[in-house]
Amino acid sequence: MSFERAITTEANVLAFAPVVQTTSDAVDLELLNAFEELQADDGSDLIVELIDLYLADAPQRIIAIREALAASEWVTLKRAAHNLKGSSGNLGVRLVAEICEKLEHLVGPEPMAGAGDLVQLLQSQFDRARETLAAQRRLRCE
Amino acid sequence: MEKFRLTLKQTSPRRVLVADDDPVMRHLITTIIKQQEYEVVVANDGREAYCILQSDSQFTAAILDMTMPFLEGLDLIRYMRTEKRLMRIPIMMITAATDIKLMASSFSAGATAFLPKPFTPEQLQSAIRMLLGTRKSNIRAAQIC
Repeated sequence: MSFERAITTEANVLAFAPVVQTTSDAVDLELLNAFEELQADDGSDLIVELIDLYLADAPQRIIAIREALAASEWVTLKRAAHNLKGSSGNLGVRLVAEICEKLEHLVGPEPMAGAGDLVQLLQSQFDRARETLAAQRRLRCE
Repeated sequence: MEKFRLTLKQTSPRRVLVADDDPVMRHLITTIIKQQEYEVVVANDGREAYCILQSDSQFTAAILDMTMPFLEGLDLIRYMRTEKRLMRIPIMMITAATDIKLMASSFSAGATAFLPKPFTPEQLQSAIRMLLGTRKSNIRAAQIC
């Protein structure tokens, strides 16, 4: 599902309530699994390590975004969204990355309409991605 | 003999400074650099990188995120390019920003390479190989001169 479709076809952001993903439109698994080629020979699993780091870090970034939104601290919100966009994009968590980009450009010096909806959408898309990433992790650790 | 000693001194540090506040990026970049058999010195933000650079200049290269807390990547580049002991270290700037002007700003400030996110593993590997080869090329060029 593209970001535009997520925005335009789902009038209510609550429609993105977390569901367990069996297939992934939340994460580009091809992109994620491309990191396979960087695997070391020491028995470690780079993809699992990246998933763990992302799932530990991203929720903190989202909390920072939520807090910044509540406090109308737009510069902080923009910076947190920018940071989350980077790792999300690289791990194939594309919708989260796209929403972050929208937030980066939506937020200006003044409170911007739509920021709240985008943050809600960000949370729900992250929840979906988290399910997918956790499932990938389980598969790789079996 | 003196020239040989000089060459050894110049090529001996196989160390790379990586400054990024994103743990995913740090781990990814660090993994690739270690595969090239380089030691990695990690900074979690711009201020940490600045503190490291104040007392340590023995780096083959530096990889800096553009947007970091306390001190931005661009400020770090400007600092490195004004310090004689740091000015020859090749620097790669990494950023998730899509503004083409930032790439121009990076090169104006003195960056050697620029890698926009997201990147594929191949792109990151190639960029790092290129960056690590830059210092050797500079040294060779300096020796020829």
